[in-house]
Amino acid sequence: MSDSDSNLPEWQPSQPRKRSPLPGTGDLSRRLMDDMDPEVLEFLKTTVNSFIKWDLVIFFFENPHTTDTIDNIARYIGRDATVIKADLEDLVRAGVLDQHASGTLTVYSLTKDVQVREKIKHFVSASDDRQFRVKAIYHLIRGTR
Amino acid sequence: MERVKTGIAGLDEMLGGGFLPQAANLVEGAPGTGKSTLGMQFIYNGITQFNQPGLILTFEEFAQQYHDDAANFGWDLRALEQANKLRVIMTSPEVSYSDLGGVDGRIQAMIKEIGAQRILVDSLSHFDRLSEDPVVRRGILYGFINSLKREGLTSLLTRESNALIGELESPEEDVAFVADSYLLLRYVEIESAIRKALLVLKLRGSDHAKDIRQYEITRNGIEVQSKFEGREGIMSGSPRRMADSFVEAFVRR
Repeated sequence: MSDSDSNLPEWQPSQPRKRSPLPGTGDLSRRLMDDMDPEVLEFLKTTVNSFIKWDLVIFFFENPHTTDTIDNIARYIGRDATVIKADLEDLVRAGVLDQHASGTLTVYSLTKDVQVREKIKHFVSASDDRQFRVKAIYHLIRGTR
Repeated sequence: MERVKTGIAGLDEMLGGGFLPQAANLVEGAPGTGKSTLGMQFIYNGITQFNQPGLILTFEEFAQQYHDDAANFGWDLRALEQANKLRVIMTSPEVSYSDLGGVDGRIQAMIKEIGAQRILVDSLSHFDRLSEDPVVRRGILYGFINSLKREGLTSLLTRESNALIGELESPEEDVAFVADSYLLLRYVEIESAIRKALLVLKLRGSDHAKDIRQYEITRNGIEVQSKFEGREGIMSGSPRRMADSFVEAFVRR
């Protein structure tokens, strides 16, 4: 250790920081979400709760008749198949996508459930608004921590 | 036999009235020659002029891209989809081959759902990646094309050509043999300007125009015009005036 280093105070991993709200701000996240459409907020919290799922939902909304393998879907959204696998399967479990066999292939397509399609439409329509996107991105980033 | 009209005036005339029903029709050309436009026009005109619903099977462009491209020509594909007259399906060659080859496939279901009679497959070049073996590839294409025929579809299959201008490539044997008709779109250089040329190379079981026609991509889509008069060597990409050829052949000897 050099002399100059020895002069530094010993660094210790800090204790987990307390995320106390800044004076006067309250819970920013809650305040941001408060004015969101509850149905869209619920869809965001429970279904589109990652950036990859967001990409996938937008892709299938814009290409509702797509039926394809995980490798090709990954290519369409510019990601790697291994990266999207878990999220794609989550969307199947959530009823957003259907998974079915085509010969030896496993293919995915958008659900035909009208109610789920309406929720997707509602979500995509809301996400056209910049304010909504900012809030939703903040929510997703918080969720990844 | 009643023909399946493209609705493109000059082209139907070249085809002796249109494509044959349930035939597989190959359109080959370099990038920008208008293969997809011709295909979209075939589908759009089929729905709006002849009440024949259609499918667009795309292996590359997103559905939204088709909607946008078509809108430039005043064709509202979105409205046709909402009216259940059209489906734009983004998928891959392996999935479409498997889907149509099996039973109860999603694509098969969509064909039945809208009563599709026409299909644009854009583009067949993507089947190349399924096998490097030309014999295997030809088998796959043969099976795929027959599945389209089985479903009662008259198909327009696009294929990319690498040659922009210049010597004619030898045709892609695997597809050209399997297809019922073969249309070639080419760039031609005439007096320092690029023009476009269309030729019907093959139309199985029917006579067709043998001349090479000029065409343009206008705000209304493809418009086939007159044939190239007084020139030869059109498909070489650099045609000469016939008078020059005459001088070369006889006077300079």
